[in-house]
Amino acid sequence: MPCLVAITLWQIRVESDLNAFFTSTEDADSRLLANLLQSGELSRRYLLVIEPANPINHDTTSTPSASAFAAELVKQWQVLAGVERVWYANQPPADWLAAVQSYAPYYSQVYSLNPKQDAPDLLATDGLAKRADGLKQALLSPQAAVVKQVAKQDPLLLSLQGFKNLQQQFQATAKNSHAVALILQSKPPALDSAAQQQLQTAIRSVFDVANAQSGAQFRLSWAGVPVFSVATHAEINQDVTWVSIASSVAVVLVFLGLFRSFATLHWIMLIQGAAFLVGVLATSLFFGHVHSLTLALGASLIGICVDYPIHILVHVARDKSSPQACVSLLWPSLFMGGLTTVIGYIAMGMTGFPGFEQIAVFALFSILAALALTRWILPALLTRITPKATPLPLVNQWLLFCQQRRKLMLSLVGIATLLAFFCLPQLRWMSDMQRLALNMDVLKKQDQTVREHFSSIQPGRFVLIHGEDFETALQRSEAAERQLLAMKQSGTLQEYYGLFPWLSSQALQQDNSKFYQQAMTPAFADAWRYALRQAGLSVEKLGTLSTAPVSMLLPEQMLQTPVQQILSGQVLATTPEVVLSLWLGDHDPNALQQALQDLPGVRYFSQKDQLDHLAVVYRDRSLLMLAIGGLVMALFIYVQQRSLLKTGLTLLPAGIGTLFIFATWALMGEELSFLHVIGLLLSISLCVDYGIFFMENRGGDSLITYQAIAVSTLSTVASFGALGLGKTPTLPILALSVSLGVGVGFVLCPILIPKKLQS
Amino acid sequence: MIWYVALLMWLIPISGICDDSKLDQVLEHFAQDQQGVFNYQETRHLELVSSPWHGEGLMLTASDGSLVKLQLQPERIIMAISGDNLYYWHPGQNQRHNMPISFGEDAARQILIFRQILQGQLSSLQQQYDLTADTSGQNWSLQLRPKASTERLISAISISGNQQQRQIVIQQSDGESSEYRIEKADPQITAQYSISQLLQEASGE
Repeated sequence: MPCLVAITLWQIRVESDLNAFFTSTEDADSRLLANLLQSGELSRRYLLVIEPANPINHDTTSTPSASAFAAELVKQWQVLAGVERVWYANQPPADWLAAVQSYAPYYSQVYSLNPKQDAPDLLATDGLAKRADGLKQALLSPQAAVVKQVAKQDPLLLSLQGFKNLQQQFQATAKNSHAVALILQSKPPALDSAAQQQLQTAIRSVFDVANAQSGAQFRLSWAGVPVFSVATHAEINQDVTWVSIASSVAVVLVFLGLFRSFATLHWIMLIQGAAFLVGVLATSLFFGHVHSLTLALGASLIGICVDYPIHILVHVARDKSSPQACVSLLWPSLFMGGLTTVIGYIAMGMTGFPGFEQIAVFALFSILAALALTRWILPALLTRITPKATPLPLVNQWLLFCQQRRKLMLSLVGIATLLAFFCLPQLRWMSDMQRLALNMDVLKKQDQTVREHFSSIQPGRFVLIHGEDFETALQRSEAAERQLLAMKQSGTLQEYYGLFPWLSSQALQQDNSKFYQQAMTPAFADAWRYALRQAGLSVEKLGTLSTAPVSMLLPEQMLQTPVQQILSGQVLATTPEVVLSLWLGDHDPNALQQALQDLPGVRYFSQKDQLDHLAVVYRDRSLLMLAIGGLVMALFIYVQQRSLLKTGLTLLPAGIGTLFIFATWALMGEELSFLHVIGLLLSISLCVDYGIFFMENRGGDSLITYQAIAVSTLSTVASFGALGLGKTPTLPILALSVSLGVGVGFVLCPILIPKKLQS
Repeated sequence: MIWYVALLMWLIPISGICDDSKLDQVLEHFAQDQQGVFNYQETRHLELVSSPWHGEGLMLTASDGSLVKLQLQPERIIMAISGDNLYYWHPGQNQRHNMPISFGEDAARQILIFRQILQGQLSSLQQQYDLTADTSGQNWSLQLRPKASTERLISAISISGNQQQRQIVIQQSDGESSEYRIEKADPQITAQYSISQLLQEASGE
């Protein structure tokens, strides 16, 4: 045991990334979803709001303003290890402005997304006076430094036309002018809870120190995917702790209550501990890590693995036979019971849910270890102990009652079964996978409050563009952007982050250039010079409008410049195909999908819809595995029992129990998810054990066998019931499904399996 | 020759003392004006503008550090700083900008200088600039050269004045310059404007 602990601790690496547990990577969309959750640009952002703690009484004479305070914080946060960059939400960073200026020489190619439509207005001779006047005003404005550099190369300021959207993106939406809104881009993946927790601690620490020096005048609010990730991780960690402790305590109490022996408990717990460690080690070796949720669900396996020694103990206590003799006698039933349970977990692991694959491996090795230790080690441990088993009340009475009133009970079960069938059409399936997420209402409210200070870009919904090369992808992106622009103008889309003009297809650049060249007539040039003179601007420095051809802006080259950082998160892939994304603000999803439906290579992607689709896939698979798992169990039982009747009766308590549970959910109006089905799959595999023990009755005394089954049921309910303490919705669903399933199966065994057919 | 050098050696400390006292005298003028309303006339020589540009309006300063530059001619534009925010409002072009001063950098530079000068923020002036003063009867002048090598926009500031008015010339590194002539505003004009109202208008609240 000490060696096992040492090896396990040496090998184990616990994973806390929720993405690794919940998100499949079977198809391209699932991989994209997983990648976005893992490392997407928007997913790694914190939205920070700094405001006076008491705006009304904020003393601006003796304490710094929120702006000055925020400026100092920006400097300190920028140098934190996990921070990529920090910038003000209502102003583009200085290097973005420098990037805009770098497009000035290419003004004739990037001024419009719709040159055919826009060029007549933009390049109209009668608009030049206004344009010159606007240029002069710009040279006298706070933007003079930027405008001057652009104007020297692009006197008409055409290149700035294309970047009008950039300014709108940074419009402050804060209602509270005292507040400063900042965006902090973190380096670690959003769902790497440990790294994000570390970063959050550092961010908060910097704020607290600075705030203390300013007399605690300010407060910090934040939002973003990493905030939820860390909060969820904390809740899950709490669940793991509570469930593990509660499972263990519940099983120990059941055991002590029934067997009243610390010595026996000591050996049994060692066996369980060893089985648990074997499961952890095997999972760690197989996957390279063990997920914290696997540990939580694995802790509940104690209620299953303890069944095998419990059966031995009950028979030893009641039969007064030797442990070795009992083990030899019961071993075939124990093995078959363990095998059917393993089949249930393997079927669960094949539903495609990444987390359950780990749990299946964990269960396989834990159960096999528990069986092996029960078979070969337990007898030796019990040689000096005389176990006593307190009979559970009402169990014997129930068995005798069922045997005496079997026909009546069978009739009642038959009627109930028919009624249950009629309830099945009322079953409702969950369509929104969000309902399986933790309740984070407080955090969601805070998130909403913070987001009011920022633009409405939604991290989970965007337009996805595919193309075999950049030119194709950019042309498709531009077609999509034209639709988005039209939607923005009609009010069905609040805003969007496009790629134009940062990246522009050669076709569009040529189009822009063509219309520009057409407009550059001698009359136009004269009109421009006249407008400059009227506005009092230098004709010498601004009067020349170049008509010389300029090289094309190539995306591969632009992505070697700061543009790559500006568009980070929107250029999703460049090989083997180019995948681009356009980010969206508040919008009407149906209208947007309709607007994009005829555009090749363009589609609307919604993380929520993708998750809901996955939920349906998992549900269908889990139903299939429920059926396949049952058939495989039936096959193995038949191989052992060589009788179709016995095989059918062995499976009947589990089957009817499942039906009753489905019917109960249907009557309650409970919305079912794949987790409910997986819970039932587990309970079937456990109920089948009861059927096997009861049918085979290797001890020869059905009262003792049924008592042993009762103790097993109690320990399973105690350990799986502990899952109900978890806040993660997954855990209570499994707790209820399994507890109900084994409870009903236990009750039905003596009704459905006639005594005369017992061995 | 030797006596000439000796005389110079004797005079240099005295002239140093005299320079310091001139500086103190000149700096006294700054300490007097911390709040008020001033008429200003502005002439800017811009690289891309063919002839000097003229504007005029009012500057209002408050004891809390707020400063509003209200351009009335050739058109109404408000530029202001309050706390650490910079505001710009051009109703004719429907352009409004609110940003932290620390982010405004170049745009905020001139108005920050005005605040330092008009509100007598002597310590910050002395921290950022080397000051050289001169007096001649009622007139005085002050030359400021930036100390920090990171100051890339402004190459020199020249302030001169007397009891009635001041002239400020800001030379930029790129060759552009701005000249301001400032004098106390008529009390009747003062009564028509308030900083809080103008700040409200500039911020759009």
